[in-house]
Parts: sequence; C-alpha cells; structure tokens
Amino acid sequence: MTLLAEIQEKLGSTGTWEIKGGVHWLTLETMSVRALAEAMNALHARFITITAYQLPKDEGMRLEYHWDLDGQLLGFPFKLAANSIDSIFDLCEAADWIEREIHEEYNLDFAGRTYEPLLLRRGDTAGVNLREVKI
Amino acid sequence: MSYKIPIGPYHPALEEPYKLDLVCEGETVMDAKLHIGFNFRGIEHLAETRNYIQVVALMERVCGICSNIHTLTLCQAMEGLANQTPPPRARYIRTIMAELERLHSHVLWAGIAAKLMGFKTMFMTCFELREKVMDVLQAISGNRVNYSMNRIGGVNRDISDPQEIMKMVEALEAEMGHTVIPIFTTSRTARSRCAGIGVLTREKAVSLGVVGPVARASGVEQDLRKAAPYAAYAEMEFDVPVQATGDVTARLLVRALEIMESCKILRQALSKLPPGEINTGEEKFRFITGTSTSRVEAPRGEVLYSVSWREGSRNPSRVHVRTPTFVVMPAIRWMVKGARLADTPLIQASIDPCYSCTDR
Repeated sequence: MTLLAEIQEKLGSTGTWEIKGGVHWLTLETMSVRALAEAMNALHARFITITAYQLPKDEGMRLEYHWDLDGQLLGFPFKLAANSIDSIFDLCEAADWIEREIHEEYNLDFAGRTYEPLLLRRGDTAGVNLREVKI
Repeated sequence: MSYKIPIGPYHPALEEPYKLDLVCEGETVMDAKLHIGFNFRGIEHLAETRNYIQVVALMERVCGICSNIHTLTLCQAMEGLANQTPPPRARYIRTIMAELERLHSHVLWAGIAAKLMGFKTMFMTCFELREKVMDVLQAISGNRVNYSMNRIGGVNRDISDPQEIMKMVEALEAEMGHTVIPIFTTSRTARSRCAGIGVLTREKAVSLGVVGPVARASGVEQDLRKAAPYAAYAEMEFDVPVQATGDVTARLLVRALEIMESCKILRQALSKLPPGEINTGEEKFRFITGTSTSRVEAPRGEVLYSVSWREGSRNPSRVHVRTPTFVVMPAIRWMVKGARLADTPLIQASIDPCYSCTDR
C-alpha cells in the first residue's frame, strides 16, 4: 500500500488525491478538521501551517491545512460557510500561532480556544490587516 | 515568591524587537510568554497589489539575511503556475546562492552567539569571516544584501568564472575549519556557557513542529534538501548533521557542521556547473488559475510559500509565507523554563530568530 493510500484509509476517505502545485490535495467531504488532526497525529505527520483565503464576493473563507509526511506535502482544503471553525490547538500545539495570526488577520474564530494577542492588529480591533472589510 | 520581568520589545539582549515576559522565582525562570508583531509590515497583503515582476522584488525584502531564499521559494511556486522549468545551469546557480546564504547566516549567528557568551574576540572573528562570504555573494550578484538573483524561469546573473569563486570558497572553508569550528567546539568558554542549557527535548520539538537546525539539534532528522529536493540538491552529496542533546551546544554544533556541509555542496556545484542558459528567456508569463506551493530549506529551516493566482490577472490573489522562525519561536518558552535568568538571552538567540521573517 502506498503512503497516500495508507493516509486515505486512515482518514476513511473515498475521495482521490490530486497532485497540483507541489501539493497532494485531498478534499474531505464529511470529516471535521479535528478528526483530520487526530488522524495526522496518529500517522506522525508534521503540521506545517494553515493558509487562509478570502474568497471572492460573499463566498466566505477557505482554509488550507498542510502537513508533511516523509517529505510529501499534504493539503486539505476546508471551505467555511460561517466565520468559525474548530480549533485544533489542543490536538496539535504547532497550530497555536497560525490560528492566532489568522484570527487577528481575518477576524476568524477558531472555536474552543482562547487567544493571546500576537499584536497583528490595529488598536483593539482584530482582523483589519488582510481581510477586505466592507464599509 | 514569583516576579515578572518584561524583556523587550526593545532591549539590549534582543537583536530585533519582540517581547518576552518572564516569570521568575529567584534567578530561575519558571515560565515565559512571547509577543511578536512589532515589525509587522503587511507584506502578504502588499503582495496582492504587485505584479509578477514587482512581487519578486517585494518578497526579497521580507528578510535581510535570507533574502535569496524568499525569492527562490516564491519563484519556484510561481513557476508552477506559469509552466516554467528553469534550465539546469540556473538550478545549480540557485543551489550555490542558497548555500552561500546559509554560510553567511550561520557565521553571522555564530558571531552574535559569541557576543552573548561574552566571547568578543570570536564575535570579531566571525564577522570578519562573514565579510568574506559577503564578498563572494557580491562577486556573483553585484549586491551584498538583496541579491536579485532569482526570477521566474531561472536566475538573472551567471557565474562566469566558477574557478575564481571556488578559490574564495576554499579559502573560507580553510579559515572556518581552522578557527571558527575548533574554537566553538572545544573552547571552555563556549562549553561552559552552552552545555546543558535551553534544552528542547525531541518529543517537544516534534510536538511543536520545529524545523531547521533547532529540530536537528533535538534529534529530529529533517532537511528538505534531502526529503524533498529542489534546485540541484538531488545531484549533491552531503550529510545532514543531527545532535541528540537538544541544548545550546547541540545547536552550535549542528550549525558548525552545516557550515562544512555547505562548503562541500558549494565545491560540488561549482565544479559540476552545467553549460547552457541561465533562464528560460521569457519576459511575459501567463498564469493559470490555482494555488502553487513551494518549500525550501532556509538557513533557519523550512520556508513555505503558497501562491494563488487567477488567470488573466497580473497580480497574485494571495501570497502566504510560513517562515521557520514563526514555528521555532514558540519553543523558546519550553527552552527557558527552569533556566537561569542570565542564560535567557543566549537561549533565545540559540534559535537564530528572525523577527522580520516572523512578522512579515
């Protein structure tokens, strides 16, 4: 069994891996980000980062979670309907600062955690730096 | 009774601004909180307003020490979206520049570490040596800091006389082998200030996802040049130094050994430099809609660029940069717990932090 097939089995996903732009992408239709983090921990994958995108118009946000497994870069996209997603900080402490940074840059809530300020903010207002704010 | 000592954001113990709130009992550090963001420049946001030529110049300015690495990673990501493959000679020149940058970064760090140890003669020796590395970089690129070497599809400047550069590299290697490395690895001053302090265990290093020399000094064998080779690294023979103790001595040793491995890579790359073009020669690029991600082993560890584009646009729609210090810095909290207050400046410096990179 290949490494990617092993990951897929661990995740219980029926989707297919797509190799694009240097990343092995897998879209998880039903799995939560917390279940993904638990599965990645079980595989001893190294958490790298979360990339946040503000989608055009009113389509909301997309978060891309990246892990490294034996030099392979894995990517899992999550499209957010609401302005919130579960935090994985308690499962993966490497995600602490990037969750805090995205919270401050995009005013996105990672549910289930508290935030120490990283100071990437204007005054007391979080989420003014990267997110397009409608006035 | 515990008391709190705020260090920074502007403090003689720190090379750049960040804030460390230490909770101490007597002379022992019990806990620490870190605050960053004092250099925040909104570069990722600014990148969305720059075209594909301007964005390379912009991202070169994320960091003054590993500027070349930022453009290398960015160009590799953009090449994925513009269907460009750099010619072999360009890949070799990129490797040479990346290793020279690693040399100058590690020697700079060694100088700063020596200063914090109270070893000022060594500080001067390291900075003199760093000047010689800068001379090589200048001889190749014409610049001392922002080299402007990388472009989409290759590099901007050729190495016309590799043998001349080789002589400079051999002289550097000899000097490092005779002075910097033996002194750092054998002197009592270095040992007494570094051994057993600022320990980051392997388990904690894995849990925090730390990268680069800090991870390798905690026994985590991880180097993208081996695990996911880019540029011409697949054709180079070199070792990845790993130490198990996780203390400041281990970080010192890993970087010292990496200096010698960099010289080894430089000698191979210069002697095998293939003939041919240095870039694809294209000036205008068509980007496809999508996201491309690239990773490079910078002097401080893994750098990741995730670049998104919409077809027809001249500007990227998103550039996300994950720098090594951003993931290594949280480890300082665990390194200083239980340490003597007086060792804190050296412990925090031992990760070779870069706040410009971290804040972007």
